[in-house]
This record gives sequence, C-alpha cells and structure tokens, in this order.
Amino acid sequence: MKLKKDHADPEIPTSSMADIAFLLIIYFMVTTTFAATRGLDFSLPQEDKEQPLVEKEEAVLIEIQPGGVLMVDQKRMEIGDILEYLKPKLERNAMKPVIIRPLEATEYGYMVAVFDEIRQAKDKIGIEVKNVSIPTQREIEMFWY
Amino acid sequence: MRIKPRSTQNQGIPTASMADIAFLLIIFFMVTISFEVDKTTVTLPKTDLRFEIPKKAAYISVTESGQIRVSSGEEISVPVPGPEEVLSFAAGVVAADPSKPFVLKADKNVPYRYVDRVIDALKQAKAEVIYLLSEQETVDAPAT
Repeated sequence: MKLKKDHADPEIPTSSMADIAFLLIIYFMVTTTFAATRGLDFSLPQEDKEQPLVEKEEAVLIEIQPGGVLMVDQKRMEIGDILEYLKPKLERNAMKPVIIRPLEATEYGYMVAVFDEIRQAKDKIGIEVKNVSIPTQREIEMFWY
Repeated sequence: MRIKPRSTQNQGIPTASMADIAFLLIIFFMVTISFEVDKTTVTLPKTDLRFEIPKKAAYISVTESGQIRVSSGEEISVPVPGPEEVLSFAAGVVAADPSKPFVLKADKNVPYRYVDRVIDALKQAKAEVIYLLSEQETVDAPAT
C-alpha cells in the first residue's frame, strides 16, 4: 500500500499581516497628540553677570491692569500704540529699559500679548527693544520700595 | 468553429500591497509620535512670535484655578501644592543641568500672581531661560 505524503505549505502565512498592521495604525492614531511645542522665549537675568540696576524713573513702565488696560508711563494706551511710543525713546537710547508690570489680578494672557508685541519691535519699528524686564513682586518689593 | 471561452478576469481587489501601505503608515506614526510629559488642559495665550522649544525641557503648568504641575521633562508631570515646591523642584533640575530650559504652560486667564510666583521661583533657582508656551496667532517666526 502506498502512503500519501502530507506536503506542508512552505510559505509563511501573511494573510493576517494587514490586520495586525491596521491594529497598530489605529493604536498610534488614537494615542498620537500633536503637542504645542512652540512659545516665546524669555531669558532670565543671571546674577553672576553684571546687571545694571534700573531706576523705575528712567525706564518705560508698562503697567497691565485686569482686563488688559494698559498704562504706559501713567498714560492710558492701546497695545498697538506701545511701539510707536517707544520708537523715539529707543532712537535716543537703544538700551532704554522697558519694564512690564502686570498687576496681581491681571490675566496672564495680557502679559504675554504685551511681551509678544515688544519682541516684535524690530519687525514693526525697525529697532529692537534690548532691555526688557518683567520684575516679580518680590523683586519690586526688594528694589523699588 | 469552436469559439474560445472569454478569458475570465480576476474580480478580487488586489490587496498584496495593503500590508506595505499599512506599515508605511505605522512608521509615520511611530516617527511623529511625541509623548507629552504634561497633559494638563489649559487655554494657551496666542502670540505672533513662536520659537521651537528644545526637547526634554522641564515643564511647569498652571491651570486657570492656579493648580501647578511640574515635570523635569523625563517623566509625567506631578502636582505640587505651591510655588515653594516649584523652587525646590527647579533648583534640583538646574543643579542637574544648569542650562535646562523651562516651559511655562499657563492658562491665559490665570491671575498673574500665580505666574509671578512661578517665575520668581525659577529666577531664584537660577534658571537661564523660560519658554512661555503659546498658540499660533498668525504666522510662525523662524526659530533662532
């Protein structure tokens, strides 16, 4: 009697490959989050470097009140007018200090908006504001009073 | 004369390349995926200028109600009770890497006093640079 040989298929079964691949795709699509990875950089003063002490009288003081009300050197101003106000001062003194001082109850977004506007000085008025500071409440209490 | 039967065309959709396409998509997602160290939901302020934040930066998030979470950039963020803990956290991060950038992810509606205390803690910890995380307003500026 002749015995039949059982011929096993020598190929690797790949029919489920696409299913596995699509499952992986779905996993990555669900878990992927497009993170916000951009922002405004803000260099902090280093104490070991020489930092001139800025008198508030000789600096341009931008006070930001709650609701985004801006007082620039005690004068009410719109955000779009700040750079035009700074331009002649910066032409006379390129290192003119600009102090941004948001009040405690002011919403953080208004401080960022003002800082963003000042950082764009080079594009908008052709002069860079080199000396911007955002003193903290502790620093104000230590140095101003 | 005997007419030959018409050649029958295969009706199936060709699926041989399906796996290749799928694997290409997998590679795309694997390359682009970035695991966020901080998943706090905040409404970010909008700015015109936005610069690329270096990878592995330390994160400090402040929600609208003033709740603070911190992450050194290596692990998922953890809540901290107040700005004093931010100072000890930041001092530890700066001690390990003095040039480590910090990312401040604060809600645009949070009262500034909360942000002020965080910035003050970072100044005291001698951090070099802070990135104020923002959303795009109009056009992106080239990264410097």
